[in-house]
Amino acid sequence: MSTAARPSPRFEEVHLGDTLPELAMEITPTLIVSAALASRDFQDVHHDATLARQHGMPDIFMNILATNGFVGRFITDWAGPEAQIRKISVRLGAPNFPGDTMRMTGTVTATELQGGEGVIDVDVRGRNRLGDHVVASVSVSLPAGG
Amino acid sequence: MTAQVETGSSPQAPEPEEESLAARLQRFVGRPSRPPVSAADPVNQPMVRHWCEAIGDGNPVYTDPQAAGASRHRGLVAPPTMLQVWNMPGLRPVPPLPGEDQLGELIGILDQAGYTAIVATNCEQEYARYLRPGDLLSATSMIEAISEEKRTALGSGYFINLHETYTDQRGEVVGTMMLRVLKFRPNERAESSPPAAPPRRPRPVVNDDNRFFWEGVGRGELLIQRCTGCARLRHPPRPMCPHCRSLEWDTRRSGGRGTVYSYVIPHHPPVPPFTYPHVVGLIELVEGTRLVSNVIDIDPAEVRIGMPVEVCFITVDDELVLPQFRPTVGNRER
Amino acid sequence: MRDRTAIAGIGATEFSKDSRRTELRLAIEAVSAALDDAGLDPAEVDGMVTYTMDGNDEIEIAGSIGIGDLTFFSRVHHGGGAACATVGQAAMAVVTGAAQVVVCYRALNGRSWSRFGSGVQQRATAPTAEMVHFGWYAPFGLLTPAQWVAMFARRYMHEYGASSEDFGRVTVADRRHAATNPAAWFYQRPITLEDHQSSRMIADPLRLLDCCQESDGAVALVVTSAERARDLRQRPALIRAAAQGAGGDQEVMTSYYRNDIGGLEEMGVIARALWPAAGLGPADIQTAVLYDHFTPFVLSQLEELGFCGRGEASGFVRDGNLEMGGRLPSNTHGGQLGEAYIHGMNGISEAVRQVRGTAINQVDGVENVLVTAGTGVPTSALVLSRA
Repeated sequence: MSTAARPSPRFEEVHLGDTLPELAMEITPTLIVSAALASRDFQDVHHDATLARQHGMPDIFMNILATNGFVGRFITDWAGPEAQIRKISVRLGAPNFPGDTMRMTGTVTATELQGGEGVIDVDVRGRNRLGDHVVASVSVSLPAGG
Repeated sequence: MTAQVETGSSPQAPEPEEESLAARLQRFVGRPSRPPVSAADPVNQPMVRHWCEAIGDGNPVYTDPQAAGASRHRGLVAPPTMLQVWNMPGLRPVPPLPGEDQLGELIGILDQAGYTAIVATNCEQEYARYLRPGDLLSATSMIEAISEEKRTALGSGYFINLHETYTDQRGEVVGTMMLRVLKFRPNERAESSPPAAPPRRPRPVVNDDNRFFWEGVGRGELLIQRCTGCARLRHPPRPMCPHCRSLEWDTRRSGGRGTVYSYVIPHHPPVPPFTYPHVVGLIELVEGTRLVSNVIDIDPAEVRIGMPVEVCFITVDDELVLPQFRPTVGNRER
Repeated sequence: MRDRTAIAGIGATEFSKDSRRTELRLAIEAVSAALDDAGLDPAEVDGMVTYTMDGNDEIEIAGSIGIGDLTFFSRVHHGGGAACATVGQAAMAVVTGAAQVVVCYRALNGRSWSRFGSGVQQRATAPTAEMVHFGWYAPFGLLTPAQWVAMFARRYMHEYGASSEDFGRVTVADRRHAATNPAAWFYQRPITLEDHQSSRMIADPLRLLDCCQESDGAVALVVTSAERARDLRQRPALIRAAAQGAGGDQEVMTSYYRNDIGGLEEMGVIARALWPAAGLGPADIQTAVLYDHFTPFVLSQLEELGFCGRGEASGFVRDGNLEMGGRLPSNTHGGQLGEAYIHGMNGISEAVRQVRGTAINQVDGVENVLVTAGTGVPTSALVLSRA
């Protein structure tokens, strides 16, 4: 499930329009529950299907902190250990329910040199069967030059 | 803060009896949504490891001291997206004192006015620096803005922006978060019918006449019905051979190769969970029978009649495996 | 059976996208209007025929209108393929003496209730042969009539070099006819071939303007003996011949397993039965109503019925032969692309009007009219003649 560490690309190798390696994540109850508990989010809709249904949802669903976490992971899976995430802005859409698969894709939308840092903007999209679960823009930096 | 201040009414300006909802809501803007909180535990390795396992995050700067030391971070750091985690209220939060829970009051007013549902729509986090084990976080939260009533696909309601500021043990800001929620009056339809489970692909319809085919597919085999009387192959399966009227049959396993005999690229209407455009192909197998399937791993615009294809099998969900066809790789040697 | 029976009355509701009344009410209005057109009292009706797909029971309509005893009732299967067969079966009932006056009808809220073109993904899955049939296609996302037809259309283009423009000319002709027909949904709204070419893809290679409408409305027809019809209010439209047809390896909309899918085998079956029964051939037909739920099958019908050779229909249409003044003015009411989609029944009404000489776009010197029913399914056809 987790991705092996890979070295960071050099900032100079990153170009506008580059696409990030796609990540297909199977949404299982285990994934939803473990991520909710790891983020100390104990709302019942994220771990108890019976109570989730009482709230009018068909099943448990992923919490926001986890969605942020997956966006961050998707970025550093590509940008590696030298990356420093500066900002993540997410728009939330269709819930992630068990049995679905979220496919995460990303595209580099801007690169800019700021001092010794190369700042990269990436648009990220996580789609499931219901539509967009998350649409995010992320700003991440890599050491530049040298 | 006192409860008096929290009511927001000033003795000089008595409240009109029927204050509009919008005006009542606007009085919450600029108030703390709840009292400041301090994290129960400092940023720590066990929680970071737990998080990384759950998220499947293999970045070594979070868990491997050596790799982290060799990186620009010069030591272990916490995943930045854990920012909010450290101050979470936990499983048994301490109930707020009366008047302290301004967000709760705001929500209560909207509940009473019929805006009973809530959903988070946006979350924006900025990280001034990565956190390290030992950092102790405090968080303050403010009701930053409340929109006018907006019509949305979910229903009519108010967007509420909450702004959180996180500071470390030295009082320096390490990160901020804006969370936007929609507090809304659900559309009638949404209220009466809970959101449907994710739509699944339509199922094949299986009975005694065609069960062998779908069981074969489940094993990754493409089977063709064969008359044991005259050895002719037929698809779709039927109980009797139209040539010799034999009711006896067995199956032959197809080599899975064929050509595209015709194809359709559906665009409309979109039916979930299909994604559009995709390719539905009528495949003529080398063995001579035809079947309908999808042509995948190709840009729909590149599909041609006569194109060689070969079968593969995809697991759609825990109940369904389907045969699919993709362009035959001309030279299979590496 | 030749010329022994006739269509003596026609009736219809308005054609719309939202009838704002039940299908039963539509059926009753149309049947009532058809009886008034013929000058018959409901009590004289003793037979009724409709489609298996129709949601309105014969007995509901009979009870509502004051039709008394019924001695013949029958339903025909396979969607729009039933259209002409309702009249054919009514004629057989009259000739055999099973009934004297038979009403054929079809009523649907095909737009406002359940949209006709929306697909079969919601159908129940009891493992009957009919459901198994859809089960070979639905899991792969082949769900709608447009998609089923598109598979044939692509092959037809491949085999005969036909183009999307060739399909488009069928719609252009229909819409030109609809433009002068006040009963048509697309009254005063003709289109150009460019409009067709710029309409969006629905099921590539089919564009939006290759697909007929979804409509609300009802049509009814009264069939009785030719002798009786002569004494009634309208000039009779004689039922010269009727035929039903299903071909080898026939499926409902997906006969993909035949050696040749570039034609419409079931319409070939019809041609071989209909022309001899009528004692006529294509040369004897002055105008036609060709079932047009999707344009490509109009071309195949021209070929199967012998108006042109195999693969030659594109040229036939390109030469303007389907339009007024052409060799075979077709769908002079606007067809289902232009007037309404009442599952082919409104086309039979138009054929009756052409024979009577009362059509909006009347063709000169009409003696015999060909009408066909649903394509891609087991189907039917009629030749109606001037009395």
